[in-house]
Amino acid sequence: MRITEAPLQLDPLLAATANPASGALVIFAGAVRNHHEGRAVCALHYTAHVGLAEKLIAAIERETLAKFDIHCCRVVHRIGRLDIGEVAIYAVVRAAHRSAAFTAADYVVHAVKHRAPIWKEEFYADGTSRFVDGCCLAGADTAVPHRTPEETCATSS
Amino acid sequence: MNIDIECFGVAARLSGARRHQLSLPAPATVRDALDALAAQFPELVQALPNCACAVGDDIVPRDHRLVDGDALALLPPVSGG
Repeated sequence: MRITEAPLQLDPLLAATANPASGALVIFAGAVRNHHEGRAVCALHYTAHVGLAEKLIAAIERETLAKFDIHCCRVVHRIGRLDIGEVAIYAVVRAAHRSAAFTAADYVVHAVKHRAPIWKEEFYADGTSRFVDGCCLAGADTAVPHRTPEETCATSS
Repeated sequence: MNIDIECFGVAARLSGARRHQLSLPAPATVRDALDALAAQFPELVQALPNCACAVGDDIVPRDHRLVDGDALALLPPVSGG
């Protein structure tokens, strides 16, 4: 399962990916931060097209596994309301050596942020909220210029 | 034909609801459904070109032919992670 409403648990991911041939383990955790573009953020609410997100994230994992010299790559993303500090996404990569693991982890997180059908609504201290601008999925009529992960969200990237 | 529309992200806010129903003359494509939505919800007009569409768990092009009972999802620019 790649999409869940429950608080994310790292231990099951680590157990599922354990490999005696892997000398490197890279874990990325994207946590909700309390600011974005100068505004005080109170919480985030994530929604997803769950069926399509499960399918596309699994495809991105396979793509990352094929592209880098790694042993495994797994991503889990939480949906629903998240408070400051809560983890929205885990990416776990194992490889024989660290260089490939770090590069692959960055790749898979970038790909999920730009290609998975998941949306983030930010809630601000002044009581307002807005959906964060993002990247068009392939299949849209026009292409929105890609924004870097740091520009698109109040999670650390 | 009757088509169920599911709006995600900002598309739900702009159209006023997460789900809508459309009645379209057959045959109809995804583009026909989007044109009907734009006519019914003018607030969606600017957002629609940036939305991908899905039927079931597959992203489909604008010329995809719809069948009666299809559920069409509007997928605005994504912002996960």
